[in-house]
Amino acid sequence: MKMTVDQEITLKMAKAAQLRVEPENVEKMMNSINDILDFCALVGDLDCEGVPDFMWKMKKLPSRRPDAPEDWPDRELFESAAPVYDGEFFKTPRIIAEG
Amino acid sequence: MARPIVIGLEVHLQLVTKTKLFCPCSTDYIGHKPNTNVCPICLAVPGTLPLLNDGAVALACRMGLGLHCEIQNYSTFGRKNYFYADLAKAYQITQYELPVATGGYLDIECDGQSKRVRIHHLHLEEDAGKLVHPTADGRLTGAAYSLVDYNRGGVPLTEVVSEPDMSSPAEAKEYVMKLRQLARYLDVSDGEMESGSLRVDANISLSKDDGSLGTKVEIKNMNSLKALERALEYEISRQNKTLDSGGRIVQETRLWDDAEGVTRSMRNKETASDYRYYPEMDLAPIIISDAEIEGYRDAMPELPWEKRERFAESFGLSGEEVSILTEQKDLAAYYEALVASGAPKARAANWVRMEVLRVLNELGQDIAAFRVRPAVLADLVTRVEKKELSSTIGKEILDVLAREDLTLEEAVKRSGAQVGRMTGDALGELIKRIISEQPDVVQTIKSGQDKKGGKLKFLQGLVMKEARGQADPQEAAGLLSKFLAG
Repeated sequence: MKMTVDQEITLKMAKAAQLRVEPENVEKMMNSINDILDFCALVGDLDCEGVPDFMWKMKKLPSRRPDAPEDWPDRELFESAAPVYDGEFFKTPRIIAEG
Repeated sequence: MARPIVIGLEVHLQLVTKTKLFCPCSTDYIGHKPNTNVCPICLAVPGTLPLLNDGAVALACRMGLGLHCEIQNYSTFGRKNYFYADLAKAYQITQYELPVATGGYLDIECDGQSKRVRIHHLHLEEDAGKLVHPTADGRLTGAAYSLVDYNRGGVPLTEVVSEPDMSSPAEAKEYVMKLRQLARYLDVSDGEMESGSLRVDANISLSKDDGSLGTKVEIKNMNSLKALERALEYEISRQNKTLDSGGRIVQETRLWDDAEGVTRSMRNKETASDYRYYPEMDLAPIIISDAEIEGYRDAMPELPWEKRERFAESFGLSGEEVSILTEQKDLAAYYEALVASGAPKARAANWVRMEVLRVLNELGQDIAAFRVRPAVLADLVTRVEKKELSSTIGKEILDVLAREDLTLEEAVKRSGAQVGRMTGDALGELIKRIISEQPDVVQTIKSGQDKKGGKLKFLQGLVMKEARGQADPQEAAGLLSKFLAG
């Protein structure tokens, strides 16, 4: 069954997600959410009869590993991927206020 | 009428695994350069997936069993979202709806009364990294940016959540001490509050006049047991004053300022919805079979209260002696080895309580680092028992052995004490020499002016000192009187 949200639910969702939405943007946000819900409805209409559960893959993977340390050899990978790394610390935007 | 105090504690214990909770990075990060114990998993590089550390599950189960909890066959992880960058994922992986262990209790003793504190649950979660704020005072206010060290990020924690069963700061302190002792006995955590491997958050409220629970305030940032007790005492006083003056208590998180001795408002208390918990889909549920739980149960070591009972029965020691000897597992093992090496039970208990602990305190050492092996101390104690050495010399020898790599024989020689007692001719020669070296004193005694016997006692003291405690005091006194009369 296709779901939709109205402006009231959109504002409730924004509050729960701690997002500030200006009044002029509420409709735009509502439409975006409804687009996503439309897509979910489309996916929901797919015939999955006989298609195996994706979880089977996870069940076959080991769910725990032994407690044995390993060094990561290629530091370059994450040092270069970090937005700002000064050779010791990763730098992040300032925290505006505690809490 | 005083308002009843209601305290519940959340205790985080850093688990002593070799690796982090979800990646194989080492947990040995203290003193290491920032961001050296990291990998793409704990740095949340896209495309990586966490994989649960089996050792952390085992330790959490062990702690759960020690707390009489029910280990769950099926538990899950969730994501706790928040806005700090101390975890690179921007969320913490923690157990929320289905923790690994539930129920349970810990019995404590406070002011001679025993009390059962119920455990709500115990769960696994990852520790956060460390944020550094480059301001003069290290606080974030005014910082233009923050620096992050992820070495600690992902280190396994178990959080033990109590029911609000404690009704005084002293009980809260006792509960944490008992929990720490249990964690150490079980080799689950080193429980060091100062280094942060044991962290306590306290929830405290004062009951209303009608007996219903008052508004709960959470206190953080208590880095010692003393700080925990002081922070709770302060908060009780603050809340009482607020209520007495007609004010109301705000549900909030407050930080303990140890230097100022006050709690300060940090933020309005988050509710679960603020964290927007949702299931961690990158991790399979933790499935623990009954057989695995039984395996953990079978591997449980002797618990502190079990050891206390056995020590009282097997060694015939007093409650206080048992309490001191079993406070630390390694100290209890040392005492047992001492007795097994032939030292008499009661005498061995005295030596450990009075002398070994004194020396350890002087050296700032743990018993694990103590140089004097139990067999050596047993030999020393036995010699003192047989009066081959005086107890004074025995203690001096222990001091030497604890500080230098010497055998017992070498330490005895170094102490100047002769092996065997100083009697007969040897003692006589010593007394004659002392008499010849103290003519004025001898004259005073012989002329009858030593009415109170002080001069004689002085000579006796010199004899015992020079004999390095190896002379029998009665024999020495007899010989001294004989030579003075002669």
